[in-house]
Parts: sequence; structure tokens; C-alpha cells
Amino acid sequence: MSHHPGAGPTVYDPMTLPSDDNVDSYTFCVELKGNQWFLQKGKMIAYYGSMEFNGIGHGRLDRLVRTSFHSPLHASDWVVAEGSGKMLLADRAFDVNSYDLDDGNLTIRSGNLLAFQPSLALKQSIVPGFLTLIGTGKFVAASNGPVVFMEPPIRVDPQALVGWADCPSPCHHYDHGYMTGVMGGLRALTGLGGASGEEHQFEFVGAGTVLLQSSETLMAEQATGVLPPDAGVPGSGGAHTGPSQAGGTPRLPGQLGDLQRRFGL
Amino acid sequence: MAFREINSKMIEASVVPGQRLFSQRGAMLAYKGDVSFTPNMTGGQGGVMSMIGRRVANEDTPLMTVEGSGTVLFGHGGHHIQVINLAGDTLYVEADRLLAFEGTLQQGTMFLGSQGGVMGMVRGQISGQGLFTTTLKGHGSVAVMAHGGVFEVPITPQRPVHVDPQAYVAHHGDVRNKLSTALGWRDMVGRGSGEAFQLELSGSGAVYVQASEEKL
Repeated sequence: MSHHPGAGPTVYDPMTLPSDDNVDSYTFCVELKGNQWFLQKGKMIAYYGSMEFNGIGHGRLDRLVRTSFHSPLHASDWVVAEGSGKMLLADRAFDVNSYDLDDGNLTIRSGNLLAFQPSLALKQSIVPGFLTLIGTGKFVAASNGPVVFMEPPIRVDPQALVGWADCPSPCHHYDHGYMTGVMGGLRALTGLGGASGEEHQFEFVGAGTVLLQSSETLMAEQATGVLPPDAGVPGSGGAHTGPSQAGGTPRLPGQLGDLQRRFGL
Repeated sequence: MAFREINSKMIEASVVPGQRLFSQRGAMLAYKGDVSFTPNMTGGQGGVMSMIGRRVANEDTPLMTVEGSGTVLFGHGGHHIQVINLAGDTLYVEADRLLAFEGTLQQGTMFLGSQGGVMGMVRGQISGQGLFTTTLKGHGSVAVMAHGGVFEVPITPQRPVHVDPQAYVAHHGDVRNKLSTALGWRDMVGRGSGEAFQLELSGSGAVYVQASEEKL
């Protein structure tokens, strides 16, 4: 991208547009040569050439859904692009990046995934609101601010987490050191002093990579589909075992609500 | 140097035992090591009197104390972050623009009326600073948030700098600022250029300007 001062904006044509690469930090260009890509609905902003955009699950695309799209329950949010040409993807001026998986797995927040090659299999993650991509291929994801890669062990603000690769599943971590002791008890009783807003993190350990966005402002969540109501499936709304967590007591002003209950105060 | 810029919207701070950091509540993105985040009731340094001072001055942004040993990543709301290193001079900045700062810095509150009297107060209203602003003095680093990128404009005695009050972020050094007006008859009949008020900074130091006229 040669950009001389005073030369005006760079003008692209079908020849100069990059192939499967970023045009700028907010736009990604996909080249189709008779192959297919999965896109989230509404993320294509322009295209050159002749392509077709089909909703998933219609007739001849049935097989594709079976092989690389394992959660038919949210398939209506996705379209298949096929044909030849170049297509531009963007999402509300968020930072866009592509990632290559080589016989790997990556779990990503559902709202951040924009597009992926059908050589990857998309599955619902056990963690509600996340999707897992498995296999070899390229996918495109958006984030609020550039993505930073970190290695475990690390604790992450839940809102800043974009996804993780090759990691064992994350767990919750609660910091409440300041809630103990005399001053902590006083704090919990009166509500004075407030909370730091950092009592709860996701903790990652083991080998792998954690993807963070540079802001704790979340992107709009994309429905991942309903889960079959089975016992033991997290987030399925199935049969609850054990005592119910949701208490019926109204929250008093100044109380820390859920935190208090979690810490057994 | 406690802060390292990872990209334009994220910084990495190293926390070592015995040295505390202050940061805006909820601005932590991730951390490694053994770090604790304690809500700071007094909203910064000093005792109860400083807290009352800040409450009165409406400069009491919720802060938390960061202690322990490890590294912490900070970012907030997708705003651009500028790290400013202070070497003994004073930084003037609005409290809600502070993302994080080192505990070695002296935090204070300044009445804008003490710098230019009534005109100082008018200036505060127009630039959105209010009647008070936060000062940080000493040796250490400050991470300041801005809407859009930030650039540093040096101020030398021969060359005063004029800044749009809405694009003003912070300044440091021995700088006097006053509001300069360029009101003409056009403004009176509602055909103004929209640039009737400017902040004139003179002396020696630097002013930080954001590439946007949107407040945080």
C-alpha cells in the first residue's frame, strides 16, 4: 500500500486488492476462486466478480452444513459465499484480523467471528456464548481494538477475552482479599468504598494462547443457538441439580449483591 | 518506566512489591502473577482531607490500588492511551482521563480560578474542565486516555500554542493558559466559525491534544 502525502486515498481495483489479507485494520479482503466461505450475515460490505450468497441449509448446501457446521440450530445467522472474485468484510469499524489454524482448535466469542473457511469445523463450545473452530484453515475475527496474544498462566477480565487456542478450558477466579478482615467486613456491611470492579476474572493455565482485545467494551453477542435441554449440559436450561443459586431476597442498596453471596458474607 | 505501550489502546504495567500503582476501576484487562486490586475509598493519595477536597472539586474518579508482583494490562473503553513520563514537573489533567499512574506521583487538586481569576473559571467551563483539575507532580509515568490519537505539541516561550478547548487533553511544565476569544459580529448573528474560543498556552512545556473534539 503506497501512500504518498497529498496523493489522496489509495484506490483499489480487482487486481490490486489483496488476496485473503487485510486492506486496512478495519477491512479484510477474501478472494474466491470457485471455493466457499462462511460469513456471518451482514458482514460483507462490497464485492467484485460473480458470487452467490446463500442461506445455509437450503437444498444442495445441506451436505456442507453436515460436514463443517455442526450446530444447525444457529445456522440461520450464517451465509455461504461461493463463486469467483474478491469480497470485502468489515464490522462497524472494529479491528479485523485473520488467523490461520493448522490442525488446531480455537474457541472464540460468538460475536467476534466474522467468517471462516469450510475446511474448518464450527462447533458450539461448552462455555455458553463461545464457538470452537477445529481443523485447518483461515478465519476472520473482529475485536474492539487490536488483539493481543498472551501465554498462560494469566487472569483475564471477562469482557476483554476474545478467545483462546489449545488451552484447557478456563475457570473462574475471584479476588476478594480486600473483603476479609475488619475493614473488609465493614466494607461489605456498609457498602462504603465500593468494589474495584476486578473481583472476577477468567483464569487460564497450561499451554496455549489467550486472545485479548484492547478494551473491555464487548461486541454484540451473536446467538449460538439453543442447546438441547439435557441434564448436565451447561447453559441448556435443563434439569438443575443441587440447590438453586438464585435467591429470592431483594437486594438492599449498598450491598454488593452477588459478590456478597459468593464470598459467603 | 512502569508502563509499556502494547498498542495504541493497551498498556502493560509491571508491578513490583513495595511500589503501588493507581488505576481507574475496572480498567484492568488481564494480569499475570500475584496482583491485588483494592478499591480506593479516598479516590487516590492522601488522607481523608484530600478525599473531601476531591469530592468537593468533583475530581473523585473511582480509583483502585494495584499492588503485588506481576504484570497488568490496562485499557478502557477503546480509548487511545498516551503514556506521559514526568521528571519532576507537574501534569494538569482531568481526573476521568486518568487510566493509571504510579504511586510515586503526588496527586493534588487545583482550582482553576487561581490561575487567571474569573477568566480561569470561564476557561474551565468552556474546555469542560469544570472549576477544578487534577495535578500529578513528581517522577513517574501517567497513562492518559483520549478519544482518537494523541499528539504532543511543545510549548516554547517564543511560540505559544492555541488549542481547541474540546481537543485539549493535558499539559505539563511551566505553562500559563488563558482563554482567547475571537468573537466577531458574525458570532453575534449566529454565523460564527465555531472556533470562537481557543485555549492559549504559553511558557515552556508541552500540551497533549487529541485528534477529536469529543469528550470522554
